Amino acid sequence: MVTPIGDTPQENFEAMKSGKSGVSKIAGSGFNDEDWPLSKIKHLEEENRYQALLKRTCSQLLKAYGQELFQSEKTLIIISSTKADIDSFPEDTFSSTRSIINELLTPVNTPVIISNACISGVLAINTAVDYLNDEKYTNVIAIGIDALSDFIVYGFQSLFALSDAPSRPFDKNRKGISIGEAGGAIMVSKERPSEMFSVEYLGGSSSNDANHISGPSRTGEGLFRSINLSAERAGINLKELDFISAHGTGTLYNDEMESIAFDRLGLNKIPLNSLKGYFGHTLGAAGIIELLATMLMMEHKLLLKSPGFEEQGTSCNINVLKENTESEAQLVLKTASGFGGGNASIILRK
Amino acid sequence: MRILGTCKIAESGVFVNGLARQFEVNEDWKKDLYASLNIEYPKFYKMDALAKMAFLGVELLESSCNFDDYSENEIALIFANRYSSYDTDQRFIESYTEKGSPGPSLFVYTLPNILTGELAIRKKWYGENIFFINEKFDAQFFIDQINFYFRKGSKACLCGWVDSANNQEECFLFLVENSIDEISIEELIKSYKQ
Repeated sequence: MVTPIGDTPQENFEAMKSGKSGVSKIAGSGFNDEDWPLSKIKHLEEENRYQALLKRTCSQLLKAYGQELFQSEKTLIIISSTKADIDSFPEDTFSSTRSIINELLTPVNTPVIISNACISGVLAINTAVDYLNDEKYTNVIAIGIDALSDFIVYGFQSLFALSDAPSRPFDKNRKGISIGEAGGAIMVSKERPSEMFSVEYLGGSSSNDANHISGPSRTGEGLFRSINLSAERAGINLKELDFISAHGTGTLYNDEMESIAFDRLGLNKIPLNSLKGYFGHTLGAAGIIELLATMLMMEHKLLLKSPGFEEQGTSCNINVLKENTESEAQLVLKTASGFGGGNASIILRK
Repeated sequence: MRILGTCKIAESGVFVNGLARQFEVNEDWKKDLYASLNIEYPKFYKMDALAKMAFLGVELLESSCNFDDYSENEIALIFANRYSSYDTDQRFIESYTEKGSPGPSLFVYTLPNILTGELAIRKKWYGENIFFINEKFDAQFFIDQINFYFRKGSKACLCGWVDSANNQEECFLFLVENSIDEISIEELIKSYKQ
């Protein structure tokens, strides 16, 4: 788990616990040299940034699991990224991903790449479970990665979606997104490992809003449908949820949409946060690193506050955490929404 | 599973269920094909090349496939290509390196899965969606994915290989229904290679 606030899951959790954020003003990052607040890994080289981040993520993985796991024919690697190596354009922007993974992790099986906007990370976990259910593999490693680039910053700037102060998901005074960069990975296995903390995947799904390619649905339609479907697949009653790790980008419309979907599902009282205040919005990495952070909260029995949230800023009441809260959360929902009208969700149990 | 219909559009021509249509795939082919289909959908003109191709492919498939046989949640969209949103990435980069400022209407199309979003909007499909980046069209890969989605409860899968980069465009769509029949990989590859 490589982010601006840590190089390992433990480092990230300690940093989050103490309220540290990766978001800070980056001089001259805007198209007109504005100093946008971004969540930037400071010690990563500027040249070939994406490649450096992917290499570092792979080297952390090798340290944690050793090379053998990746070389097994029973192991599959799934990569989730929105823009991959966009700085290498006009090269094929996904080719360096393949070559770095092949060189460093030396897998037997061809890695699967998912690029489905900001829900890619959650889809990668759902797809990992699909492959495990197919009996061909025993371990699937889902890697989520996206790096900062002019392309992405100028793009969100052109949509007037960037916030001039660190993003404040669900808050009354939220003004937009802080873009971030990160790499992270989750191992999804058939067997529950004894030597490390794990959670059980109960069910997951995706659903399209069928409404707009870049604007969230006014009724939270796709998110509402995906959460319902995931609960059905998980065989749980949503009222039993202990916690929600929401998407919460910090834009007016996205956060409003999520509150409407949660309200329609009667989830108003369930404690909830957005982790974008710690990591920024890391696009294709978001689903993976936010699930990792959620698992860390479950392991340490501590639900982390949603940074930047002070006052209810959505038309429907939801229970956004203002303080770190001790909790034995057992049943947890993770959601994501993105461009193209995509929504995805996963239900986990400790 | 059973293939209910295929549609292939490439330089070699337009094929629906293996049959060539009288149509010339020239530089303006997307506009011409849209005009020939007598559809009223002004949003088409705003779409990028990937979304336009997928849109036209679905309209052509509809001549032989009745999408209304499935409810709004029952069709999964499983798409893949090699070059992601390459052409639109290029145009967006040009907007800020050569044309003065980053273009927001281009930026929103710099994700390959915008095309599945456009199809969902057009057809009111709320089902599952996923977009993969593969080095080449891989029939077995699609069949694995289709099986996953049938296992999870989708009744049909609309699959597509839609790519546009370096002046090469291709669009191959196929609709698959959940049934006890087995799909022949050779048959699928043959349809793709038309």
